Amino acid sequence: MNKTDIQIAICGSAGEGTIAAGDILRSALAGAGYRIIAFDAYPAEIRGFGKCVARLRVTTEQAYSLKEKSDVLVCLNDDHGIPHIGEVRDYGAVIYEEKSIVPLAEGAHVSAHILPGQVPYPVPIRELSERTTGAVRSRNMVVVGYIAGLFGLSREPFYKIVDAKFKNKGSVAVQNRKAFDAGYDLGAATFKLDDVQFGAPGEMFHATMLNGNAAVARGCLDAGIDTFFGYPITPATTIMEKLASEMPKRGKRLLQTEDEIAAIATTIGAGYTGARAATATSGPGLALMSEMLGLGVMAEVPSVVFVSQRGGPATGIPTKTEQADLNIALHGGHGDAPRIVIAPTNVDGCYRCAGKAFEMAERYQTPVIVLLDLYLSNRYETVALPAKSPFEADSDKPLAKQDLGAGYKRFAYTDDHVSPRALPGMAGGMHVVTGLEHNELGRVNEQPDVHEAMSRKRHEKLKAALSHPDFTVYKRFGDEGQVDVGILGWGSSFGECLEAMFLARREGIRCAALKVVMLSPFPVDAVTAFLDDCGAVLVPELNYQGQFAQLVQAETCRPVHRYNRVTGTPLRVEDIYAEVRRLALAATRKAA
Amino acid sequence: MAPQPIYLEEKLKEIQESGRLVYRSKAMPTWCPGCGYFSMVDGLPGALNDLGIAPKDTVVVSGIGCSSRFPFFVNTYGFHSLHGRALPVATGIKTANDALTVIVVGGDGDGFAIGGGHVPHAARRNIDITYLLFDNGIYGLTKGQTSPTSAINFHTTTSPYDNLDQPLNPLLMLLTYGATWVGQAYAGQPQQLEELMKEAIAHRGFSYLHILSPCVTFDKTDRTYVNLGELVCDMPPGHDTSNLSAAMALAMDTAHPALGVYYKTERATLADNFEEIVRRAAGDAAAKRATG
Repeated sequence: MNKTDIQIAICGSAGEGTIAAGDILRSALAGAGYRIIAFDAYPAEIRGFGKCVARLRVTTEQAYSLKEKSDVLVCLNDDHGIPHIGEVRDYGAVIYEEKSIVPLAEGAHVSAHILPGQVPYPVPIRELSERTTGAVRSRNMVVVGYIAGLFGLSREPFYKIVDAKFKNKGSVAVQNRKAFDAGYDLGAATFKLDDVQFGAPGEMFHATMLNGNAAVARGCLDAGIDTFFGYPITPATTIMEKLASEMPKRGKRLLQTEDEIAAIATTIGAGYTGARAATATSGPGLALMSEMLGLGVMAEVPSVVFVSQRGGPATGIPTKTEQADLNIALHGGHGDAPRIVIAPTNVDGCYRCAGKAFEMAERYQTPVIVLLDLYLSNRYETVALPAKSPFEADSDKPLAKQDLGAGYKRFAYTDDHVSPRALPGMAGGMHVVTGLEHNELGRVNEQPDVHEAMSRKRHEKLKAALSHPDFTVYKRFGDEGQVDVGILGWGSSFGECLEAMFLARREGIRCAALKVVMLSPFPVDAVTAFLDDCGAVLVPELNYQGQFAQLVQAETCRPVHRYNRVTGTPLRVEDIYAEVRRLALAATRKAA
Repeated sequence: MAPQPIYLEEKLKEIQESGRLVYRSKAMPTWCPGCGYFSMVDGLPGALNDLGIAPKDTVVVSGIGCSSRFPFFVNTYGFHSLHGRALPVATGIKTANDALTVIVVGGDGDGFAIGGGHVPHAARRNIDITYLLFDNGIYGLTKGQTSPTSAINFHTTTSPYDNLDQPLNPLLMLLTYGATWVGQAYAGQPQQLEELMKEAIAHRGFSYLHILSPCVTFDKTDRTYVNLGELVCDMPPGHDTSNLSAAMALAMDTAHPALGVYYKTERATLADNFEEIVRRAAGDAAAKRATG
């Protein structure tokens, strides 16, 4: 069987249907049985000619990130396309508008920039769109058709997606099919000079294609979420949007609150009644939630907070990705306020972390923060989700009848430091929860021994999360035993770490990678053991300070090498590999 | 006719048999002697008892401040939350469990300074909770600073040259925010307060009871029992509680704070709307199944 590994980039202006073209292409190819990883870049403005780039990698084997070089580039727009010519590999295809909409000066046309070795495909995109649908709107469909025709892909999966996408829009589906066919026929008739080959998808990969936020929503629903509260913020909003349409179908409630403080306050209020409750936000919202999360810690109320990170402090760069909210997730807020923080590394992980977060919040009576970022929230992957929910419906510590009554101790000291909780409505369970320090009964108490004992209780109870059932706290990949270089990664950028590790091993470097999913409580023994196996350790992450590297060094007392970028875009596999190679060479030189 | 003597033993027996003591906790209130807030320690248990709402089905939610200590003094479920955040916490509780009677207790600083952003939204959503706001025009727990309802020229530690900021008019605000029950009581008239509490709790929807109260420790000049007692007055005869404009006109007359129900109306509650959304979603899902 022919292995397929093809990356397609589509470049255009906001409003030209660039992202929509990428969506149809990836959906159709996923429907045809290929595996997909796709990630789009777009500006903060809805219109206004900002640059949009849709990228998708189509494979028959599991891949973990996008590739540095694309095999196919489509330029819907000359201005935006030209800077991307360089990302096309030798013998790759550059598809572009043959007749630009406005007359262009010499050198402003894509054709003037195509590099030797790249194969140009000038296509009368606008003309075909106008001829078939009477409008320029369908240029993106012409291009999708052209790609399908040029590479000999079946029309059927594309028809299916077009029909589904424009089902409720009258004749639009028919119009788009016509534009697709026009592009397809021309592509199929074109003499193909590039060497991009789609192999058969082989064994059909039975999968759903989801982005990280949709996977989070699925995880919430499968975990039986009762209530959701949120305030719109990029890039977390689509979690709320998905749940807003799905939860009422299950008789569940979602409320858009007046701000993020209200979002976390309502979440904690609902959690206090025994409901499974969650909210979703980004860094600015998490900053506003910090005080209330401390109340969740103090009052020992379960809550789940999904945080999709974006770039920079203040308003920053809202439509770009970054991993710079690790510190606030771990430490945000005042006082000793321990909480559980987990960070999935791929779309499948988003689903699992979302569902498990509800179990953990309930089991350990604590806020649980699930850290995503824009790259993971918006990245599409084909994933095989379980048909039946793998999550516990109720993870509360059982409450014995005899505990209730006049002397009921809501905050009783126990062996596992978790106190069985009475819920409002239960006879004999009346108590007050408070943000003030309190004794076992929940009565305000500021005695030194009480504050120490309660602080210990709130910290120690979380340690059991490190062995939470059916949850991957960390995982090692690559060479076993002693290695030259180890890569330690977290969150969305771990895919690039993994691909860099594979590359290093292909180049003869003994290399392993460790992903850390649970960041608080920190799996210090496992990480220390990994560091001790490595000649040198590289910690790549998308923040300037090296927030994860700082955490690792503080927890393990071992030095690590940092690789930090804040470009607003995902890390590049080749850049991580270059660092790994540098460390491996330095070790060799030292040994010599 | 000379007033009938009240015998302590008989009165104690009457209170014990009334059932209202079930709602009282063993904790002693932390307020200063003479504080207007003692009126609610007696009033709320009386109101709940009369309405037959069991302690186990009641949640009293508060923020931070003198009045916000109240949950500790009743034997119901209680959530003593953060400064200004009682309303959203209560919203979460009521959203998750309709069967509970949720009562929010707070002060003027808690509700209209730090928590002011939440009030309009609780009111406009018409969530079926009761908001008891104790307004003494001062920050008592931090020992006497200016609040958003302090009078002009009020002298405090943070306004040593007197307060020059225009005070808020909470009654007028709540009327415009869309509260479906708005009333005013005075801590110095505890029997009327208890009756109004009862009516506010029984109201289906968001009810707001504004309670004028003195701070006997930090305010010796403005809202004293003597001054408030002279100011407060009865509802003008014939006041129509279904007339929003009349209610607003009454609320604007701050020189003569009338006690009683200003306005009440019926509107779909937040829970009604949640149910309507579930119905619409079910219809949508059924429609999809039929066509697809």
